[in-house]
Amino acid sequence: MNVHRVAATASKEWREIVRDRLFLALTFLVPTSLMLVVGYGLSLDVEDIPLAIVDRDGTNLSREYAHRFIDSRYFDFKGYALDRHALPLLLADNKVRAAIIIPENFQKELMAGRPIVVQTLIDGTLPSRAQTTKGYVLAMNTAFTSEMLAMFISKKRGIPLGQAARSLRPVKFEARYLYNQSMRSDWALAPRLIMVILMMTPPFYTALGIVREKERGSIYNIYSSTVSRFEFLVGKLIPYVGISSANAVILWLIATQLFGAPFKGSLLFFIPATLLYIICTTGLGLVVSVMVRTQVAAMVVTFIVTVIPSMLYSGVIVPISSLSETAQVTAHALPAMYYTNIIVGAFMKGVGLRELWPDVLVLAIYATVLLTLGYRMFHKRPST
Amino acid sequence: MSDMPSNSCIRAMVVWWNRMRVMTIKEYLQLYRDRILIVFMVYAFTLEVFLAGSGVSMQLHNAALRVHDSDHSFASRELIHRFRPPHFRIDGEVLNHGESIDLLDRGEAMVVLDIPPQFQESLLNGDTTSVQMQIDTSNPVLGFLATSYGSQIVGQYGLEAAMKREGMSLNELATPIINEEHRVWYNANQNDAWFMSVVEMLNVITMFAILLPASAMAREKERGTVEQLMVSPLTTFQMMFPKVLAMTTVILVGTLITIHLILQPFFGVPFRGSLTLFMAVTALYVFTTAGIGMLLATIARNLAQVGMLTALIFIPMVFLSGVWTPPENMPSVLRAVSAIAPLHHYIDASLGIMLKGAGIDILWDSILAIALFAVAIYGLSMGYFRRQLG
Amino acid sequence: MDEAAMVNASQGLGVTTVESQEFTNATLESADSKPVAQVSKFRKTYGRTVAVDGIDLEIQRGEIYGLIGPDGAGKSSLMKAVAGVLTYDSGTLDVFGVRVDSEQSSEAIKDRIGLMPQGLGLNLYADLSIEENVDFFGQIRLIPKGVLQERKDRLLGMTRLDKFRDRPMKNLSGGMKQKLGLVCCLVHHPQLVILDEPTTGVDPVSRRDFWSILAQLLREEQITALVSTAYMDEATRFHHAALLFDGKVLARGEPDEIAALVPGRIVQAKAEPQAKAFALVKETFPQSEAVGPWLRVFVDDADDEQATTAVTSSMEEFRPQEIHVAEPDLEDVFIALLRRRGLTDDDHSASLVGNADSVSDGDGLAIEANNLVRAFGSFKAVDGVSFEVKPGEIFGLLGANGAGKTTVIKMLTGLLPPTAGTGRVAGADMRRAGQAIKERIGYMSQAFSLYQDLTVVENIRLYAGIYGLSRRMTRDRTDWIIDMAGLAGRGSDLSGSLPMGLRQRLAIGCALVHSPQVLFLDEPTSGVDPIGRRRLWDIIFDLSRNSGVAVMVTTHYMSESEHCDHIAMMYAGRVFADASPSELKTSLREESGQLLEVTTDKPLAALDVLQSGGFDGVSLFGKRIHLLAPDPSKAEQQVRAALGKKDVGVLSVSEQPLTMEDVFVNRVLALEKADEGKQ
Repeated sequence: MNVHRVAATASKEWREIVRDRLFLALTFLVPTSLMLVVGYGLSLDVEDIPLAIVDRDGTNLSREYAHRFIDSRYFDFKGYALDRHALPLLLADNKVRAAIIIPENFQKELMAGRPIVVQTLIDGTLPSRAQTTKGYVLAMNTAFTSEMLAMFISKKRGIPLGQAARSLRPVKFEARYLYNQSMRSDWALAPRLIMVILMMTPPFYTALGIVREKERGSIYNIYSSTVSRFEFLVGKLIPYVGISSANAVILWLIATQLFGAPFKGSLLFFIPATLLYIICTTGLGLVVSVMVRTQVAAMVVTFIVTVIPSMLYSGVIVPISSLSETAQVTAHALPAMYYTNIIVGAFMKGVGLRELWPDVLVLAIYATVLLTLGYRMFHKRPST
Repeated sequence: MSDMPSNSCIRAMVVWWNRMRVMTIKEYLQLYRDRILIVFMVYAFTLEVFLAGSGVSMQLHNAALRVHDSDHSFASRELIHRFRPPHFRIDGEVLNHGESIDLLDRGEAMVVLDIPPQFQESLLNGDTTSVQMQIDTSNPVLGFLATSYGSQIVGQYGLEAAMKREGMSLNELATPIINEEHRVWYNANQNDAWFMSVVEMLNVITMFAILLPASAMAREKERGTVEQLMVSPLTTFQMMFPKVLAMTTVILVGTLITIHLILQPFFGVPFRGSLTLFMAVTALYVFTTAGIGMLLATIARNLAQVGMLTALIFIPMVFLSGVWTPPENMPSVLRAVSAIAPLHHYIDASLGIMLKGAGIDILWDSILAIALFAVAIYGLSMGYFRRQLG
Repeated sequence: MDEAAMVNASQGLGVTTVESQEFTNATLESADSKPVAQVSKFRKTYGRTVAVDGIDLEIQRGEIYGLIGPDGAGKSSLMKAVAGVLTYDSGTLDVFGVRVDSEQSSEAIKDRIGLMPQGLGLNLYADLSIEENVDFFGQIRLIPKGVLQERKDRLLGMTRLDKFRDRPMKNLSGGMKQKLGLVCCLVHHPQLVILDEPTTGVDPVSRRDFWSILAQLLREEQITALVSTAYMDEATRFHHAALLFDGKVLARGEPDEIAALVPGRIVQAKAEPQAKAFALVKETFPQSEAVGPWLRVFVDDADDEQATTAVTSSMEEFRPQEIHVAEPDLEDVFIALLRRRGLTDDDHSASLVGNADSVSDGDGLAIEANNLVRAFGSFKAVDGVSFEVKPGEIFGLLGANGAGKTTVIKMLTGLLPPTAGTGRVAGADMRRAGQAIKERIGYMSQAFSLYQDLTVVENIRLYAGIYGLSRRMTRDRTDWIIDMAGLAGRGSDLSGSLPMGLRQRLAIGCALVHSPQVLFLDEPTSGVDPIGRRRLWDIIFDLSRNSGVAVMVTTHYMSESEHCDHIAMMYAGRVFADASPSELKTSLREESGQLLEVTTDKPLAALDVLQSGGFDGVSLFGKRIHLLAPDPSKAEQQVRAALGKKDVGVLSVSEQPLTMEDVFVNRVLALEKADEGKQ
């Protein structure tokens, strides 16, 4: 490999990028704005669930019960519904996502020390939200039940209410949150978005850059010169790796400074690992570009092989452990997951190479395989 | 002589129709010739949706749990055994605190349950004791679910123990408790596959709806063929609309394939509403989204720019469609954007038709929102196109 | 005006006699050394299409080896394979003694090869400046910095591009792009340069410039060249040439040898009425054409006298008023060769019969440019251009690359808004014209602008539909276009897979699909072979004369401009002359004198002698030298004397009618000279 030829190819590519002002601007604008828009906009916390209540009892206790929901930040109370027949339409029209039906004799039965059934309707179209909603309702009901029980016991035994309540909770539950103590989803999300964005943008730049040269015909300069395939590809990729690296720095700054995500690990580990990941995803672009002929195809293929996997199989929205077995295989076959481990490790856990070396190793293998594949498939003496 | 005007009128209509026809056929042919693109379109409308539907679940499944049991009593074992699949999976014991932290650091455990010494004794004596759970909350959703399931299990266990001590049982008729009876509508088993596969299909539709017409237009600009069209008697509408029309029909065919070959046979996604209505809404949506693509193509000077602009629009659209984060949880600016964005309304309408069996009486507002967006975007891009090439 | 300087400019740089003789000698000497490239039984197919079918060639060191032949003959495939950038199916290929048969072995020759692929400037980087382009080519070839600087200065100096070093490539004119392409492929001192149609789309002045630079470089650096061209007159620059047809070699040898394969004469005669005389001549001589007021006839196997007699008698009662005899051009020979072997489907017989000379005086003007101005920033691409074209007229817009021709056409067709002035087509401003007007115009842009991923027939049907043709009309026109463009049997080929010339003809066909009343053709014949060009002009002529179509055309083939009824010549955004070809020639003759054609045994040497000998307008046309002289007989003596002194054998000196190429070259050079004087 000759450094000068690589440098010549790289600087030519760089100049071409710089001259296309809009393209250059977009190479920075796209990652940054994605980070900001998605970072601020995407929240996986389930809050403000639109809720309707049918109170068929209309007593003090039923109103008190209803207010547990109305006052909760998890629910957004949309109003009382007159009867349950009004609910299907509200649910179908997405006006509410959940409804509570308080039966007649709610107060009477409970005061008499008898159980009562409260019906909950939940919109199941978004299953994960339905799941969480169920959890909230369950927690509300459990809390209300234990108060009822405490009252019941204190009345029955003649002991103070506080004592009765305590005796009903003999085991206290303490949760210790590790890595993201405040459970802020933006802290968790912002670092992962670095992964998503660095998965999608570098292949895009690369594929377009190489296919553009093919489509235009200037690739013949390369074919007919003494630049080796390897030198050409390295030179061609360097500017894109450079742009992506600069973007990585910007994204890191946004994540830590703007979103305030803690970075507990060492930059000395994180920077090389990130560079490796960028080389990996750039290599993906290279493979796409040698496969296709037209820029349109390059774009579509890149979108399909990067956007969707990085959303679904990387653990950003859906945790890897929640994937089915086949999907886990897919996730393990893609680089995104390994880099997610590195990101989470470096940002939140403060761990380094000692713990994460397997992930780094996989990325290194990945990069080698992709670059080799791209190299093998690129020919300076094609048949057409 | 009197029929002259009507004759020329008919001729004009025939010519108009012919122009639309040849321009549309042209788009089909060009698409047909790009074999790699077709292969990937087929992949996206079938396998991609299949993978998304079969693989992804947003629930806490088999969270890796380790136990640090310092009591080793009957009571502690009973509590531990309540942590069961599907939510938790007990992976064994750890001996000390250091080991549990190490496992959590490596990501080999998600939850460590810490049971103190004299757990059983305190329980029997009626003293208060406590159980600690260390939870990896680097993924807050999972962390939250694990916490809430954990607290549920522990709370229930404590309550039952207390009641037992009181000589009561929760099953008795003589306790004032709220028995919850919840019904999950539309997707009673909370089958993630339904949701994921449908959403994935909608994403694929969105991607092609922006990208295909945009790149078709940009290619004409880059190759210079647009000049030939500009000089011809085609109107701006006749230049743009056939692209949209061709791409829309292709995407609709893809959608039908997905529904009949993937969604229904593999995942049993119910189709409770009218397929015709769904296809009509999809057509409107694709048409609208194609308008975004057209606008991008008129702004961009080359295909590379189109690609970048598409990424700029498409990715936020997908993330912020309201599927992952409902608009009510977004900052106000983004909420406003999301209220305008057609994907949001389209997803509402699609899930409504498919899973809820909703009809036009319920969905008219979503459809109207998409249509209004279409009018705005086409007005904008046709105006821009005319100005740019004129 | 400084005559010597002007003459110098016409050849780029003054070439001394000594050097050119060395050149000739060097070629002869190296003839017996090992060939640079040896091609044997070479065969290349693309799918089912056979591009090259068993070709044998030998290229000797130091020579310019030319490939000529119609579009799709297999020239590009062969050249790419020699450069090691294309695989082939069978046969052998040795370059510098290396058997090029794998990706690895082809690498071994690339340090000694320079390739300039087809397509003006397509291999250059549009956003990079001249200097950056050259630097890139130098750096990937690992030329040390100092050497590169020196080399770059020299090459840019020779090509006179050094003043524009910082200008982005996309803003260069066609001629400059092509010179830059040459610099880029020569920067690393290759031993073999492969140039695929380097002069296509370049104006005559720039082409001359290009060839003289190339010749000088090759001579000074002992470079071998493999060149293809669509301009037959350039073939006289070749030492050896191979005429390719349909993937096979039809003829090979020195250009003279090839020319000698079809002995004959070209007779130019003027007779009235032209159409009737033409019809008669065409009966006897199938290879004849009407060029302006002249009839140009190829007479097989005849000497001067026989040819004159034969043509005169064939005209029967229409005695020619004026008649000249000349050696045929290689282009004439090329066509004759194909004709004799029955390879031309020459069924386009006398299409001029009938009301040929009646220019229908329709009501109003077909095209009207009124003081059109177009500025890009501070640069005025078009600066106050006015002209008028009547229905049934063929109007030619001539000018060097970058003179503003395309910009004028774009303003007239409504693609570009004028900064000032108005352009009207069929009485309407095209920017606001309704569909009815647009249906009556046809336009073919400079860049190939058909859909490459549609087949030939699909492209035609598309435009037929756009222009509202009925089903039956569509069928008729499709047949007509396929026949006209010589695309029979290729109807279902993708248009992108067609050779350049065929694509171009298809594009013209599509522009004509709706029989427009006004036709704009921007370099329609660029890259089209002679047969195709002749066919095309038959069609244009027929349209204008028989259907009253107004045609506005730009071309770099000056011989084609003779067909025009009137011509506007542009220079730097302005029209400096607007008249009929004969008027343009007359005015040149009145200013500078008669045209003398000198043929010698050493054309390059003779050129130098005459250029430095104080003659006016000396330039090379093929292997003949043209000069202008107010007193022809006196000039003839001077020429013979000057050449005799330098031992150049004079074969003939004759008075010939001026051609449009003489007019163009002389006028443009004079203007360039004046411009340089101002600066």
